[in-house]
Amino acid sequence: MRRTIIYTVNLTRNYQVGDQVLPVLRETNFSVRQGEFVALMGASGSGKSTLLGLLGLLDRATSGEYWLEGLAVFTLTQNELSALRGKRIGFIFQNFNLLPRLSAWENVALPLSYQNGNYSQEEQRQRAKEALARVGLNHRLDHYPMKLSGGERQRVTIARALITNPAVILADEPTGNLDSRRGEEIMRLLRELHQDGSTIVMVTHDTSIAGYANRICTMRDGVLSEN
Amino acid sequence: MSLVELLRTATRSVSANKFRAALTMLGVVIGVASVIAMLALGNGARAAVDATFKTLGANQIQIGQRFEIQDGKFEPVGKKLTYLEGLDMASNAPLVERVEMSVSKSVKARYGRNSIEINANGVTADGLKGLVSSGSVQPVTWDGKSPLTEGAFVGSGRFFTLDEVYAGVSVCVLGYQTALDLFAGDEPVGQVIWVNRTRCTVIGVLAELVNTDLENRYQSDPNKALLMPISTMIQQLFEEEPSVYMTAHIVDANRIEDARGQIATYLRERHQVGKDAEGNFQDDFDMTTRSDILGQQQEAARTFSILLAAMALVSLIVGGIGIMNVMMVSVTERTREIGVRMAVGAEPLDIVLQFLLEAVLISASGGLAGIVLGILAIPVAASLNNGVALLLPGSIPLAFGVALLTGVAFGLFPAMHASRLDPIEALRYE
Repeated sequence: MRRTIIYTVNLTRNYQVGDQVLPVLRETNFSVRQGEFVALMGASGSGKSTLLGLLGLLDRATSGEYWLEGLAVFTLTQNELSALRGKRIGFIFQNFNLLPRLSAWENVALPLSYQNGNYSQEEQRQRAKEALARVGLNHRLDHYPMKLSGGERQRVTIARALITNPAVILADEPTGNLDSRRGEEIMRLLRELHQDGSTIVMVTHDTSIAGYANRICTMRDGVLSEN
Repeated sequence: MSLVELLRTATRSVSANKFRAALTMLGVVIGVASVIAMLALGNGARAAVDATFKTLGANQIQIGQRFEIQDGKFEPVGKKLTYLEGLDMASNAPLVERVEMSVSKSVKARYGRNSIEINANGVTADGLKGLVSSGSVQPVTWDGKSPLTEGAFVGSGRFFTLDEVYAGVSVCVLGYQTALDLFAGDEPVGQVIWVNRTRCTVIGVLAELVNTDLENRYQSDPNKALLMPISTMIQQLFEEEPSVYMTAHIVDANRIEDARGQIATYLRERHQVGKDAEGNFQDDFDMTTRSDILGQQQEAARTFSILLAAMALVSLIVGGIGIMNVMMVSVTERTREIGVRMAVGAEPLDIVLQFLLEAVLISASGGLAGIVLGILAIPVAASLNNGVALLLPGSIPLAFGVALLTGVAFGLFPAMHASRLDPIEALRYE
């Protein structure tokens, strides 16, 4: 039996809009085991991005419990959440979110630089180089994001998500800003990572993209259902 | 994030917007430069006051005719202070030991075929004593050990006496160089020279003297002197009686206020000073002591500090608001970057430090530029102020510290704002 990475109990997130309380995520029980590749599908506004934000420790639930690798996330302080996010979560964004003034390897090494002095500049570069090699970009170390194609930028983002060997990689529409050929390349890369043992949770509204995952869940009006 | 990395990040993002950073730091540059220049002016003024201070001893009172602004002009009021009042002062004000007075005039001195242009000085019989006690000159031949007497200052002949001063006898004492210029090696004592159209018997020649304070460039050559009794000089060489500036030497420095009272009583009687409606004497003379100067100096220093502080405060607040403004723009522009940094593990403190360091970097650069500009501005400030300006060494760390503080104070709000952004919204920001 594989280890449980993500485990939520009645996870709920309400937004306050004026006097109204808007439930976006309703008492969700969701678990992900190690090595799973889960696709979260749903229309926009269905709550899938909200769930991803909660899983990525970027947001706090209104109520319910969230356990990450057996750790009671809902009890942690802001700084503990930041540290945990940096070490155990890897993000892949639709719009890449690379820092334009940092070179490819510096972008990739950014998570290491926030792990309070554990890594020297040389170690960071070495680790970034290895991560870029895994996504096939070891020849683009010193290029700036502006000089890279869309597919290459998304590979840099993936390398940044990989560098800390996170418990889970959270991908938000990873192919949304790419043409179908580049999108397929990226999905093949994610599948490779999955086959190498990475745990991935991906948000998408595209069924063909979701087909790369080995488990598909659908969100509708804040309610999660397993396909 | 380590401080080194934070600093590198801040340096990078400041240098990515060099022009904007330069414009932003302008306020701080001007503020710091004005602090440096103004402190230098104050320092120069204090040095000038200190120099005056040295010449006025603790047991001395300076007395001069009062000047007041009348019809927009600075005019003397009441009666002149005459040399006779100075000569009689010691016998009417018991605490006054002696009174030094001096008048001077550029004259033509002639002996035989030799004639020179020279600044003649009219002094009292105590003139030589004043020269000795001033300590500003000494005889060339002095061994540096034996006590300096008035005799050591006289090369040949003698100085004039009190009786000769009262009588207005036409005698003079020549400086060493003056004697050489006029007599070319002949014995001057007993000879008669012409001072303008007045015959004058040389009764003495001073020893060769040197200035003791070689740094003081404003001293004249003590050997180019022509000394006459003040009475003779005023009667023979002045068209009208001048108002004399006096320095009264008091027997006991501790009783200087008593002496001031005695002098006032004496002069009020001589000048028949009346009282105004409120019963205060309407004096036509002013007395100044060392503590008066000290008081004025402190007063001036206080006024100056307030002015300086106000000016520095205003320019640094303006500079600081500029920094705050640019940092707020920077935070907004980089909302996504902040989101990304949070997503990869940056704690709120990391974000605060990153932006705070940027603000401090801008203000510190502005501070350094301001220090350079301020030092360069010192001569300009001095010339505009008709005075001296002297760099106050302490003003450099002070100004730099204030610049740093400005960066911290005005960078804090934007930095806190950045650290409180919601990461999800920041990541979606377009």
